[in-house]
Amino acid sequence: MMKSIKRWQSDLAKNITFIVTKDCQLACKYCYLVGKNEKERMSWDVAKKAIDYILDHKDDMQENSVIWDFIGGEPFLEIELIDKICDYLKTEMYRRNHHWFNSYRFSFSTNGINYDSEKVQEFIKKNRDHLSIGITIDGTEVKHDLNRIYKGTGKGSYKSVVRNIPLWLEQFPYGGTKVTISSPDIPYIKESVLHLYSLGIKEVNINVVFEDVWQEGDDKLFEEQLMLLADTIIDGDYYKDYACSFFTENLGKPLDPVFENTNWCGAGRMLAVDANGIFYPCTRFAQYSLREKKAWAIGNINDGIDKNKLRPFLVLDRLSQSKQECIDCEVASGCAWCQGENYDAAETNTIYQRSTAICKMHKARVRANNYYWNKLYRKLELEGQREEYEKNKRKVKPEIC
Amino acid sequence: MLQYLIILLDDMSTSYCHYENSRTEKNLIPLDVLKVGIRFGMMENLMIQFVYPNYELTKEFKEAIESIDHSKIISSLCEDDEITNEADVIVYHDWTGMLYGTTLEDKCVVLRTSKADLFERYMLLKDVISKVSRLNIVIKDVEKFRDEDFDRYKQVLNALSEHIEKLYVNGKSPQLNLLTDRMMLKSMNNCGAGDSNITLAPNGKFYVCPAFYLENEKESIGDLENGLNIKNKQLYRLDHAPICSHCDAFQCKRCIWLNRKTTLEVNTPSHEQCVVSHLERNASRELLSNIRKHGTFLPEQDEIKDIDYLDPFDKRNEWQ
Repeated sequence: MMKSIKRWQSDLAKNITFIVTKDCQLACKYCYLVGKNEKERMSWDVAKKAIDYILDHKDDMQENSVIWDFIGGEPFLEIELIDKICDYLKTEMYRRNHHWFNSYRFSFSTNGINYDSEKVQEFIKKNRDHLSIGITIDGTEVKHDLNRIYKGTGKGSYKSVVRNIPLWLEQFPYGGTKVTISSPDIPYIKESVLHLYSLGIKEVNINVVFEDVWQEGDDKLFEEQLMLLADTIIDGDYYKDYACSFFTENLGKPLDPVFENTNWCGAGRMLAVDANGIFYPCTRFAQYSLREKKAWAIGNINDGIDKNKLRPFLVLDRLSQSKQECIDCEVASGCAWCQGENYDAAETNTIYQRSTAICKMHKARVRANNYYWNKLYRKLELEGQREEYEKNKRKVKPEIC
Repeated sequence: MLQYLIILLDDMSTSYCHYENSRTEKNLIPLDVLKVGIRFGMMENLMIQFVYPNYELTKEFKEAIESIDHSKIISSLCEDDEITNEADVIVYHDWTGMLYGTTLEDKCVVLRTSKADLFERYMLLKDVISKVSRLNIVIKDVEKFRDEDFDRYKQVLNALSEHIEKLYVNGKSPQLNLLTDRMMLKSMNNCGAGDSNITLAPNGKFYVCPAFYLENEKESIGDLENGLNIKNKQLYRLDHAPICSHCDAFQCKRCIWLNRKTTLEVNTPSHEQCVVSHLERNASRELLSNIRKHGTFLPEQDEIKDIDYLDPFDKRNEWQ
C-alpha cells in the first residue's frame, strides 16, 4: 500500500500557530471551535509582537526547523495579514541569522472555498517552495454537505470546494486531505474515501472526532464500513497508489508501560497565539475551542511565556493520564487522544484525565485493520509479491498531533 | 491512603503553611458540625488536627475537641493560655514574636517567613533551633525565587548546617525541616493534601487543604452528609506525579496548592519549588556527610547521592 507521506520535519520542527481569525464562511456541525466569531481578527501589531518574542527567544525553541501554521476559522480570510506576516518572518529570520532560516514551512488547513482567489494564488506563487496546504473535503457531496455547511444559509459547501481540487492538486500533487468522522457520517465512509481517490487525492487522512458524540451501535456500523472499504481497496488494487490512514500496520497492539509510555499529543511542544496576543500550548486550549472549561493560557506577547505553565505538558506521559483499563488494553497502540479535548471533558481542571469517548470506535477500527492486513498479505503471498512489498514499504512514524 | 483529618475551627484559623489567611470575620464551625466531623474522623480511623483561631473557644467546643485524641495547631498570637500550653504546633508569622517568645521550649514551632526576611535574619535562628524540639520553616513566597535568590539560599543553608553539625557533635538532636528531614527519610514525605490528609471547613464541607477552602469555597471534595468525592483522586498521589515520582528530595513540601497556582496542575511543581528543595537536599547531603566524620550517625540510612541537577524536570529525557 502506498504509505502516507510524513509531514515535513514532523519530529524535528517546532509548530507555531497563528490563530489569525476566529471567523469562517462555514459552520460545520462537528467543528470543535465552539466560539467562532467575526470580531477576533489578529492585528498586524499583535502578529509582529508575537514574531519578535518568538525570534528573540531562540534559546527556548531549539528545534531544527519550524512550521508556521495559520489557522482560523478559515485562515485564507486573512490572506493579506498572512502575507505580511510571512514576509516579515522571512526577513527577520534572515536578518537575525536565525537557525530556522531556510528550514521553515508555512502550513495551512483550509476549507478551500477561496483557494483560487487572486490574493491566495499570488501568495502561493510567492512562497511555493515553503508551503504545505491541505484542503478539507469530506468525501461525496452527500457526506460533505452533511456537516460542512455555510454559516447562515445552511447550504452545503461541496460544490464551492470541489471546483478548486484540480488546481490544488496541480500545485500540490501530493496534497492530502483530512476527513472527519462523526456519528452521522459513518454510512458514507467507504464511498467517500473512494470518491476522494477518484478526485486524484492520493492521501486520505481520516479521524473520528474525539468528542463524546457516539451512539449505541456506531462501532458496529463503523466496523462494517471499514471492512467494505478494506475489501474495495485490496480487491481494486488501490493500495498500490493510494493511502488511507484508517489502515495502519502497527495499530492495535499492547503498549509496554515502560518503553512505550510517551505522550502522543504535541500540546506544549507546540505554541499558538491568538488575536489578543495570548499564548497557548496548542490551539485547542484557546477559549473558542473549549465547551466547558476556561482557556489555558501560558503567557502573552507582552509578558512572555510562563515556563512553569508548560511543565505539566512536557512531563505528561501515557500512564499518568490513563485509566488502568487503558494501560492494560491489549489493542492500545494507535488509540489517539487530544490533550485539549481531554482537558475540556475532564471532571476537574486537568490535562491528566484521558477521555475514553473513542474507545469502542478504536476497537472497531482495530478489528477492521487486522482484517485488512491479513487479507492484503495473503493476497500478496498468493501473487508472489509479498517480499517485494515488504522491501519497498517505508516505515512511517505516527504523526504527532 | 487517608490518614489525617484537618479541622479548621474557624475561617480565621491560623495559616501554618504557604497560603495566607486574610479572612477577618469570625465564622466558627457550628458545634454539631464539629461533632459530626469528629465522628467521621473516628469512623475513618483518621488522626485529627485542629487548627485554632486566636480567640478563646467556649467550654462546649473544648469538650467536643477533647473527646478524641488529636493535635492542636495554634498561632503564637492565640489569646487562650490554656490552649497555648497544650499546643502541639505553634505558628509564628513574624520573627520578632518568635525570637522573644516565651513558650518555645520543647515545642514544635512553625515560622512562616518571606525569603527576604530569611536571607536577612537567618543567623538569629541558631538560638531557636537549640531551644525547640523542631523548627519548620515555611517560605511564604517560594514561587518568587529568582536565580540570585537560589545562590543566597544555598549560603543560608550552609551557615545553618554548620550550626546544626555543632549541635549534633555536642550530643543534641536538633530538627530543622530544611536540613535534617532529608537525612532521616527513605522515601517521599510531602504535603499529602488530597491523599493522606483532607480538610474539614467550618461550612461542613471537605477540601483538599485549607488553602483550597480559603481560595474558593465552591471547590469542595465532599461533605459530612454525603462523604468524600475526590475527583481525579489519583492526581494527588505520588505515582501520578511525573516529576515528583522521579525525585529524591524526600523532604520537599510538594505543596499541592502551590503546584496548582504555579503550573495549573496539582501534580506538577514549579521550577522554583524543585530548585529550592534540591538546594535543601544537597545541603542535607553535606550535613549528613559532615556529621558522620565525627562518628557513627544514622547507620541505617544510605548516603545521599551526588547529583548534577537542581530540577528533575531538566532530566526528563532520562526517564521519559
